[in-house]
Amino acid sequence: MGIIEINRLTKSYGEGKGVFELSLEVEKGEVFGFLGPNGAGKTTTIRLLMGFISPDGGKCSINGLDCRRQSAEIQKSLGYLPGEISFMDEMTGTQFIKFMAGMRGMKSFKKTIELLEAFELDPKGRIKKMSKGTKQKLGIVCAFMHDPEVLLLDEPTSGLDPLMQNRFVELILSEKERGKTIFMSSHIFEEIEKTCGRIGIIKNGRLCAVEDVEKIKASRTKYYNVIFETEDAAKLFSKEPVEVVSVNKNIVAVAVSGDMTPFIWAMSKYKISSIESVQAGLEDVFMSYYGSDKGGKPLRTL
Amino acid sequence: MFNGTLFKRTFLSGYKILLVFICVMLMYFLIIAGMYDPKTKENMDKLMETLPKEMMLAFGFKDADSSFAGFLSSYYYGFIAVVFPMIYGIITANRLIARLVDRGSIAYLLSTPNKRVKIVLTQALFLILSTTGIYIIVFAAGFLASEKMFPGELDLNAFLRLNVGALLLQFAIGGISFFSSCVFNDTKNSLLFGAGIPVGFYIIKMLSDAGEKLEGFKYFTIFSLFNPQKMVSGEGAALSFAVLLAFAVVFYSAGILVFCKKDLAV
Repeated sequence: MGIIEINRLTKSYGEGKGVFELSLEVEKGEVFGFLGPNGAGKTTTIRLLMGFISPDGGKCSINGLDCRRQSAEIQKSLGYLPGEISFMDEMTGTQFIKFMAGMRGMKSFKKTIELLEAFELDPKGRIKKMSKGTKQKLGIVCAFMHDPEVLLLDEPTSGLDPLMQNRFVELILSEKERGKTIFMSSHIFEEIEKTCGRIGIIKNGRLCAVEDVEKIKASRTKYYNVIFETEDAAKLFSKEPVEVVSVNKNIVAVAVSGDMTPFIWAMSKYKISSIESVQAGLEDVFMSYYGSDKGGKPLRTL
Repeated sequence: MFNGTLFKRTFLSGYKILLVFICVMLMYFLIIAGMYDPKTKENMDKLMETLPKEMMLAFGFKDADSSFAGFLSSYYYGFIAVVFPMIYGIITANRLIARLVDRGSIAYLLSTPNKRVKIVLTQALFLILSTTGIYIIVFAAGFLASEKMFPGELDLNAFLRLNVGALLLQFAIGGISFFSSCVFNDTKNSLLFGAGIPVGFYIIKMLSDAGEKLEGFKYFTIFSLFNPQKMVSGEGAALSFAVLLAFAVVFYSAGILVFCKKDLAV
């Protein structure tokens, strides 16, 4: 039995918006990444899991409790980070933390203090005046402070700087170690590949695939922009046995699947001023995994 | 079925506006009560004659009863003691539910182990108790001030009926505003109906008071259930109380039910 069970869940908002016939299970101790472009139905799924909305069909449960009817019971051992953070106005961060603790009947603040330190968050100021990243940190603290068994996180790292993103990754990994079940959504593969064991892809409200992250990583096509000193060198390089996506003056975009050696070997013959890796879109990640349309995708350069 | 933490929070974010309303109402009470003088009542009547009769009637300044309670029923309970708490109720009802949903902060409340019904009941309780507080303070301070200014002049039973009647009227109006706040997901629509309906009722009341031709309008406004003059005499007061209370119960219950059932896109 999974901790989070979603069975043929459907919620339609018309015009193809919503989620349709969604089924998946998340086991205890698993970190599950829920990936999809904006508007794919990630937040709708999380709202259904939180019991904010009633499904049109199917059902979902957490710890065997129905997400809509028994949501208050579920919340006892659940931490939630909303996608759009909107705190109660005119409160300071400290007041808000205390308020949430009161609402949960929380006694110990040990975990809260640990989290505040880890994220270097000073919650004394008014929430209204906080930057987006600081608000996000406050949201993370409130989601984890009561040490819940299950976590639902909607785009948890949005607004965080790279340092804090790393702190967040550390937090997720340590919670995973402690046997917590985590369900988090994102629209960037790189963001969750470090933490998630499995990922599910949702597109237009339908679950397209559920795969192990390791498998995807291994077969994944990576994209690089190689910047040569001269345009001639770039032209010559494009004849090398590597998969060239495009040549733009002295910049060559290359796609590499699997073994990196031929690519590095080819580069070693030229004077190269710089090389940069290009964050692949979700589509690219999955296209390369499923093999269709290989190499034919236009790549964003610079 | 109430959450103390939430109630405290709601109180802290709402007590300032509550205090402002109470102070303004007490100030008006003192000003209006201070104008009462059995001896100069004739002068007041003369002053009234200089103003258009329809206008005075529209604002509920009817003078039929020369007692102090009768005077207050015309000049205080016809307008100030009804409209000010109504505005307070409209603002507060909108703030209690619709604004939390509109801004999305309801998501945080619902991510705690509290059922929706508990949250909505706590918010409803705040509106009911704070409105009751307004009238308790007006009643107590009003009584003390009256005894100071005109010892023995105020008929306490009549004054109590005026306040209870006005309070029950606010429960009914507040019920409408609260229902609206529960139904709509944005403050714009919540206010459109939560303020529009009560204000519309008040305009109908003004029209029906203003002239005999429009008297039939009184059957289309909830304000007819609170007639200050009849509260003083006590005539039909019990029935008005019961009907107003029934209105309040129906609207609050419907609002709570809608909120518990509806989808919250937050």
